Amino acid sequence: MFQYVLRRLLIAVPMLLGAMSIVFFAMRVLPGDPCVAMMGDQATSEALADCTRNLGLSRPLAVQYVDYLWRSIRLDFGNSFRQGYPVSEYIARMFPHTFVLVMASAIVAALVGIPIGILSALHRRNPLVDYPLRIIALLGLSMPVFWLGILLLIVFSLRLDLFPLIGGGDLDGVIGMIRSGEVFSHPGDFFAGVGDVLHHLTLPALALGFTLAATVSRLSRSAMLEIISQDYIRTARAKGQGERAVVYKHALRNMMVPLLTIIGIFVAIALTGTVLTETVFTRPGLGKMLVDAIGARDYPVAQGAITVFTMIIILVNLVVDMLYAVVDPRVAYR
Amino acid sequence: MAIVRGADRAELALARAGEEMRGTARARYLRRWLPIGIGIFLAVAMIVVAAAAPLLAPMSPSAQFSGAVLKAPGAVERHLLGTDEFGRDLLSRIIRGARVSLQVGLASVIFGFALGVPLGIVAGFRGGRSETLIMRCTDMLMAFPTLLLALIIVTALGGSLINEILAIGVALTPNFVRLARGLALTIREQDYILAARALGGGQLRVMAGHVFPNALYALVVVAPRYIATPIRTEAGLSFLGLGIPPPTPSWGNILSEGRQYIKCCPWLTTFSGLAIMVAVLAFNLVGDALRDLLDPRLRGE
Repeated sequence: MFQYVLRRLLIAVPMLLGAMSIVFFAMRVLPGDPCVAMMGDQATSEALADCTRNLGLSRPLAVQYVDYLWRSIRLDFGNSFRQGYPVSEYIARMFPHTFVLVMASAIVAALVGIPIGILSALHRRNPLVDYPLRIIALLGLSMPVFWLGILLLIVFSLRLDLFPLIGGGDLDGVIGMIRSGEVFSHPGDFFAGVGDVLHHLTLPALALGFTLAATVSRLSRSAMLEIISQDYIRTARAKGQGERAVVYKHALRNMMVPLLTIIGIFVAIALTGTVLTETVFTRPGLGKMLVDAIGARDYPVAQGAITVFTMIIILVNLVVDMLYAVVDPRVAYR
Repeated sequence: MAIVRGADRAELALARAGEEMRGTARARYLRRWLPIGIGIFLAVAMIVVAAAAPLLAPMSPSAQFSGAVLKAPGAVERHLLGTDEFGRDLLSRIIRGARVSLQVGLASVIFGFALGVPLGIVAGFRGGRSETLIMRCTDMLMAFPTLLLALIIVTALGGSLINEILAIGVALTPNFVRLARGLALTIREQDYILAARALGGGQLRVMAGHVFPNALYALVVVAPRYIATPIRTEAGLSFLGLGIPPPTPSWGNILSEGRQYIKCCPWLTTFSGLAIMVAVLAFNLVGDALRDLLDPRLRGE
């Protein structure tokens, strides 16, 4: 077990290093001077030289590379080129918004996707069940999240006026109340704040959740199919157990391992999904921050956001691999 | 208890009805070929529309009709799907936009194929250190979701048709490396490879002249599966304003420009998004069908 964890950790380190190297070299080695890009062709040569010095671009590439790695590990991404504040502060402020969006859409995707996947695996020979489910899954897989988002906005925000058109609610305020302990002194305000956040969250979570549900249903369907054909399922059936007991006691319990895989893949897709979702719903968050930074050619912010995305994806996969060993002890001995 | 009985009975009835539907030969035939048919029809339709865009579009996608700004579909007779904020015909712009989508879709798959297949064959055929190196890099690229990788590359290079193709093509490459490596691993054990080696064929010659041609069929059949991803990613990039710069219509930037007018003119976003969905759906269907043909064990998964 310990060996497995150690080995997995040792694989994650070069993965992270490699991925961050891709980010660094894509930004630095590919043609295009960030200073020229940020300041435009009309910038004076002094201004350009100043910018180059400020960003540390005049140093040898190897030094810049090591510096970038070292600082990224300490989550120090320098200062925003436009606004001047530290990028890490900005990221810390945006992170909760993206986090709640990913969590809420995970709930939607799980509630929609997992039952669909399991049903369609169990009833795969029944066209009356299989067909509609496959069509739903296919539509979800083909529908771009930004389009679904706009359709939801048109119907529920503009026509029915049920949900806000932009913004993410006062999440900072809610977090502040938890920190300061005002949750207990002013529970009414707290719940109003939470309600407001959820109100803003509903449509984005539905849009992102539905498009991800298709992937989740596909993955859980094939996981279920694999489990159903296992020997212990046949044994359970041979013992004369009812179909329900077989599904709940044996099949679902053993779905934990594939479920973890689903979570790993899910986080990666959901995080990129937030880039589009946050833009459509004009919601604050890491994704919107990245897009805005690219638009404004604010390289430190863009690089910081991309690095954080990469780190999260690799870390989640690492955690998932560790959990494999907990859920299924055999994994550790392979 | 009665409720449970009722539910059981309903389930039973559903199962019976399904059994009947499944039973007939015609139903089975339809079940198998209908999705493939729809997918191929839509995909071919899209290719025709993209290829013949100038002939099919009722007017130029950049022509501005100042008398018909933001008109609803059908409000002005000649603008079937309405017009945008510059009075440009939406139908013509969507037809022209099919070109960008298809160009990016096909070209980035070809790019990923051309880059990934040789690497995969080298990895699978030679094994050893080159395999380790190639596969580690592949795993690393795999860790990046397509859109994120495309964002990184487009950020560095700037948005244009070529850069989009390059960015998405690189993101697709790991798929082809893995496929080609898997095929090369099987092919390398065949007798004809042994024969070619025995005749004095060098590694490069055997890989290019024997492994590659024998893997080609399977690779070409699988390749269309990957067209859906670039089409969707391109639409996403254009939507974020990082794709083809605006005067050229692409579905993503039509949708993105239309976003400012969703209050008054929802048709701009509705139709451009519908086009994206139909295109992605078409290539998803074709891809699934091709996979089923190639590997019947995976049918319906």
